[in-house]
Amino acid sequence: MGSQADRFPGIEWVEGAGDFIKIDTELCDACARCLKVCLADCFEISEKKARVRSLAGCLECASCWFVCERGAIDFNWPPGGKGYKSLWG
Amino acid sequence: MSEYDVIVVGAGFGGPVAAKKCAEAGLRTVMLERGERVGQKVISGLTIPFYGFIFGPAFIRDGNPPIERPADGIINYIVKDIETGDIEIDDTLKIPKPLSPVLAFGYNAYCQPFCEWEADRAVESGVELRTSTVAVDVLREDGAVAGVVTDGGERLGAKVVIDAEGCQGLLAIKAGVRKKYPPDVISLADCYDYEMSKADVDRIFGHTLRFCWGWDEQKVAPPLGYGNGLMVWPYRQSLHFIQDQCLKTGSGKVPSLKDFDDYHRNITSGLPWWSEEVAPHIRLRTRIWDGFEIFVGLDDELRGMPNHADGMILIGDAAGLESTELCDGVPAAWFSAEIAADVAIDAIRAGDTTASFLKRYDERIKAHPIIQWSISTTNRHDLRYAQENHDIDMLRKLVHDGWGLGGFASITTPLLRMIFDSISEDPSILSSWIRMFPRYYYNWAHERYGDAPGGRERPRGVQTLGHRAFAAFMRSMDRFLQRFSSPVAKAAAFMTPATSAANPVMRFLLPRVEPFYLAALKLLEPVTDPLSRKLVSFVTRADPAIFDSPPGRGE
Repeated sequence: MGSQADRFPGIEWVEGAGDFIKIDTELCDACARCLKVCLADCFEISEKKARVRSLAGCLECASCWFVCERGAIDFNWPPGGKGYKSLWG
Repeated sequence: MSEYDVIVVGAGFGGPVAAKKCAEAGLRTVMLERGERVGQKVISGLTIPFYGFIFGPAFIRDGNPPIERPADGIINYIVKDIETGDIEIDDTLKIPKPLSPVLAFGYNAYCQPFCEWEADRAVESGVELRTSTVAVDVLREDGAVAGVVTDGGERLGAKVVIDAEGCQGLLAIKAGVRKKYPPDVISLADCYDYEMSKADVDRIFGHTLRFCWGWDEQKVAPPLGYGNGLMVWPYRQSLHFIQDQCLKTGSGKVPSLKDFDDYHRNITSGLPWWSEEVAPHIRLRTRIWDGFEIFVGLDDELRGMPNHADGMILIGDAAGLESTELCDGVPAAWFSAEIAADVAIDAIRAGDTTASFLKRYDERIKAHPIIQWSISTTNRHDLRYAQENHDIDMLRKLVHDGWGLGGFASITTPLLRMIFDSISEDPSILSSWIRMFPRYYYNWAHERYGDAPGGRERPRGVQTLGHRAFAAFMRSMDRFLQRFSSPVAKAAAFMTPATSAANPVMRFLLPRVEPFYLAALKLLEPVTDPLSRKLVSFVTRADPAIFDSPPGRGE
């Protein structure tokens, strides 16, 4: 279980999710849309490119992927059984 | 040779329905779920409307699914000025007493237990369930989909893949069947779950949902009608609070969803009924969010994207069937799952799983009155124009037509059409419908879910006069429907064409009749309230066997 459990009550994380969201910095134009829609603060801008800061609080909503109309974000599901889990959705 | 006949990808609301039906037809069926446990990755559900239950899968209608609370109506708050408390109320959508709350317009539910209950029923029917398994790609054979590749590298062959993955639709994109939705049609639902004692939920909310609508500058709702400020669902001993917003507004702007914190704070502190009545009695249990497709049905190009291919059928949100109004995709997921299973079974038996055979699925989806209604309604979409222009008359009308009594001007025709279609197919469904509502209420009142009716522990019911009268009525009805099955079916079929006139009639009648109807409800309260309590007392004290589905139906 990750430390994010303290930040987001009622949600647990199973470790081993890996880098299921990746950014192609060649395509990224640092528009920062992914930062605007991410409620888990997974992204940051560094050297004029969006970067994945941490996926520890990611709830796999794919909003970052939807708003990236340049196709710079590659979104996949975490491996089976990994990532967040909740009983109260 | 394929290892399986059918692979169902996703064990949300729709997947288990399709899988169960395929397994019951004798097909080797496996269902893949990416979560460690079914339902842990689903955020949806909320109020599942009654039409999902009555026209949906028999094992749900005639079974005992886990529900959190029957819903009997909506109170809409139109917040004109939260500072001064200038708030209008539209509470016209309500099931009249004494029928309410035993007769409900929908059932509130947590996704995890509900989806797991469905999946358990599918497994009982012979479905192989594999959790912690992601379908990362499709297998191809001569260009057709012939199975999936899992995240563990396993190659699972199947004659038909039923994709129930949800709105992100990664597998369908990989298969080249659909493309990624634009952010304009995706909404992010920000959901808070609060613990609250059952006594407080009963006292403050009863069975009634509360929705809020407001102007942008009030900061009680995400801007320009792309979302709601506050929607509260009362559960058994908790509240579900949701606000949501599209990922891109009409002006092309991607909103900052960090503002959700402001909206949540403003509305919970600014609304007296929340800050004074609710806030002292709640404790935040979780905050969770997910994206869902909301306006796919209103975009011709997106709506026209394929929902099937050689060897593959898409259902529910994966097929773009989320409701454009009620933000509820569960009924359409159930309906499409059953249709997909029917078509897959026929295709496999015919030895033809090509797209030209599977297009029967698309034809039936396009002919389904409730699915087509639910992906065509525009009240929620058009709220943005009312908000943009501060047009209070338009806002009132849209709220009334979407979440008030005015909704009957658009739903009556598809609803009646489904009723007559269902009866003409099998008249005995009438008695299933009548039994379902009290059984669900009984189950809710006594927290008795999960098992087949025969396996449930039953208290000895009270043999009141009402109990005996209901049992006798149902026996007579069953006998009548059995004996006169053919004429009843013919009568229903005869009535079907007339249903097309129902919406226009309601559009004419509602504005004229509504004030009198609502006044009569108010006037009759001294009589209907005690009667409602009597009905609740009868249902909760009865021997539940009288509410079980008739022999030969359901579980």
